[in-house]
Amino acid sequence: MAASLSLKDVNLHFGGVKVLQDVSFDVEPGAIFGLVGPNGAGKTSLFNCISGHYRPSSGSITINGTEVLGSAPSRLARLGLARTFQHPALQLNATVLQNVLLGGHIRLPGGPVSWALRLPFTARAERAVRAEALELLKRAGLGWAADLPADELSHGLHKGVELWRALLSKPSLLLLDEPAAGLSHGEVEQLIATVRRIRAEQDITIIIVEHHMGLISALTDQVVVLDHGRKLMAGTAAEAQADPRVIEAYIGKDAADDAA
Amino acid sequence: MGTVSSALGRRSVRIALAVLAAVVLLAAPLLLPAFANQTLVRIGVYAVAVLGLNIVMGYTGQVNLGQIFFVGLGAYVTAYGVNQGWNIVVVFIAACVSAGVVGLLVALAAARLGGLAIAMVTIALPIVGVPLAKRLDEFTGGSQGISARFSDAPEWSGLYNDQWQFYIVLVVTAAAFLLARSLVRGKYGRAFAVVKENEAVAASMGISPYRTKVLAFTIASIFGGASGFLYLAAVQYTSPETLSFGHSISLLAAMVIGGAGSIAGSLLGGAYYIFVPQITNAIDPNLTTLSQGAILLAVLFLLPGGLVSLPRALRRLGRRRSGRPTSGNPPKTAPAPHPVPEAALEGPDNKERQDRP
Repeated sequence: MAASLSLKDVNLHFGGVKVLQDVSFDVEPGAIFGLVGPNGAGKTSLFNCISGHYRPSSGSITINGTEVLGSAPSRLARLGLARTFQHPALQLNATVLQNVLLGGHIRLPGGPVSWALRLPFTARAERAVRAEALELLKRAGLGWAADLPADELSHGLHKGVELWRALLSKPSLLLLDEPAAGLSHGEVEQLIATVRRIRAEQDITIIIVEHHMGLISALTDQVVVLDHGRKLMAGTAAEAQADPRVIEAYIGKDAADDAA
Repeated sequence: MGTVSSALGRRSVRIALAVLAAVVLLAAPLLLPAFANQTLVRIGVYAVAVLGLNIVMGYTGQVNLGQIFFVGLGAYVTAYGVNQGWNIVVVFIAACVSAGVVGLLVALAAARLGGLAIAMVTIALPIVGVPLAKRLDEFTGGSQGISARFSDAPEWSGLYNDQWQFYIVLVVTAAAFLLARSLVRGKYGRAFAVVKENEAVAASMGISPYRTKVLAFTIASIFGGASGFLYLAAVQYTSPETLSFGHSISLLAAMVIGGAGSIAGSLLGGAYYIFVPQITNAIDPNLTTLSQGAILLAVLFLLPGGLVSLPRALRRLGRRRSGRPTSGNPPKTAPAPHPVPEAALEGPDNKERQDRP
C-alpha cells in the first residue's frame, strides 16, 4: 500500500550551519513528488533525514502517521521505505543479480541458524526472491547482465540496478536521489518511462530529488522548491518553473531581472 | 536447454566430487602414517579458527585481533569439563557456548565503537587473557597449564589414537565448514558483504550494521571455541601460551594468505598456519620470523586474493600469454552482444500512463 509522508518544521543543523530550516510539506499516497532547488539547497540532506541517515535537530517526520524522526534507516526500511543514492552505491565485485538480491533481504524469513542449516523454507524463499529479481532484470532489459560483475556495467546501468534493488524490497515509499544525474538524453527518456511504469503497476509513493527539470515536469504531480535550506514554494512543476522566486534562486536576481 | 543440462551436469559432478572427497577423508587416516595424521589434525584445528576469523573479518570487514583468545577459552573450558567428568558432547557444547557468550558481550560493546576501535578492543583480549589464565589457577592450572585426555581411541574401535583424533576433528571441521558455507551464500552472506562495503547502503536495505557485526563476531567466537575443543583433542594439554597474542596475529596472517572472504581459503589458511613455521624452521631456526614475513609479503604481492585465488590468477596469466580469451569467458573489453544501454532501464512492455496533463 502506498505510504503517505508528512514533514513538519524539520530543522537540521551541522554545528552552527543551518542546513534545513522549518521545512514542512505533505506527500499524498500514490503521488510522484519532486524535491527541487539549486545546488546546496539542502535537498539531499532532507532526503537523508527522511531515510534516517541524518537525524534532524527538531521537527516531525511521519510515515502513514507513524513518527519516524530519529529512527535507524534499517528500521525505516522495514516500514516500507527504500531509496537510491546520488552516486550509485553498488557492490562492484558482486554480480548484478547479487546486488539486486540485497533488496530482498527484509523479505527473507529466518535467522542465521536456519540459514546455516539450510532449512527447506530458507531455500524456498531464496529461490522465490531470486526468480523475482531475475524477472525484474529481464523486464528491464538487463537479463543478460545478471551474472556479470557490477563493475562491468556503465554508470547508467548502475543507476538502473540500484533502482531494481530498491524495488525488490516491495517498498511503499521510494526515494530517488538524482536518478537522472550523469545519464544521457536517451537514458533519461527510458528512466521517465520506467518510473511511470512502476507507478502504474505498483501501489507506491515516489519522491524524486532532481536538477533535471524535464524529468521533474514529465513525472511529478507536485513539487517543493528548496533554497538555502528553506521551502521557497510548493505547487506543480509548471508553477514552479514560472515562479520568479524560483528563477531568481536558480540564476540570481540580476540575471532574472535581465530575463524579465 | 543447453544451460539446464550443463547445470545438471555440473551438479552431478559436484556431488561426485563431494562423495569422492568424503571417501578419501574417511580412508586417509587408516592409510597415512601417524605423523601425517597428526599434521592433518592440527590443520583442521586451526582451519576452524581461521574460518571464524574469516566470517568476521574476511566477509564482514571487522578487524579482529583476538581470535586466539576464543580458541584458548574453548580449550580451557574443554579441559575443565573433561576433568570434571562431563559427557564429551556437553563439553563440546560448553566450549562453543562459553566462547560465543563472551564473544557476544565483547561485540555488543565493541561494535558500537565502529571502525578500528574493534581492532583495539580485540587486541586487549589475548593480552588480558594470558595473565588471567595464569591467575585463575584453580580452573586453569596456572602457568603450568592443564591437561585432559579424552581423545584416546576407545578399545572397541580398534583404531590408533591419531586415527581416532583425526575422525573427531574431521566431524567437527566438516560440520563447521558446511554450516559456514551455507551461511555466507544466502541472506546473511549478502548482509555481511554489504556491511563490509557500505554501511549506509546496508542500513537502507533494512540490514542493521550493528547487529550484523555483532552476529559475525559471535559466530567467529563460537568457531574459535570449537577450535579450542579440537585443539585439546589434538594436543590434550593447554597453557596460557595457547592464547598468546602472537598466535592471534599468525591466525590473521593465515586467513589473509589462505584467502579473505573464502571458505576454501580458510582451509588453506589452516595449512599455512601449520606448515610455514615448519618450513621456516628448516631454512634457518634463527630467522623464522623474518622468513615468515618474507613469505607473507611475497604471497600478498603475487596473490592479493590469497592462495585460494591461485587457479584464477593462473588462468588469467594463461589467457594473457595466449593473447586470446578462452571461449565462454569474455574479457572485460569485448563488446557484449547485448541490447544497447538505452534499452536497459525499461522493459519491452511499456505501459505508460497518459492520464495526466
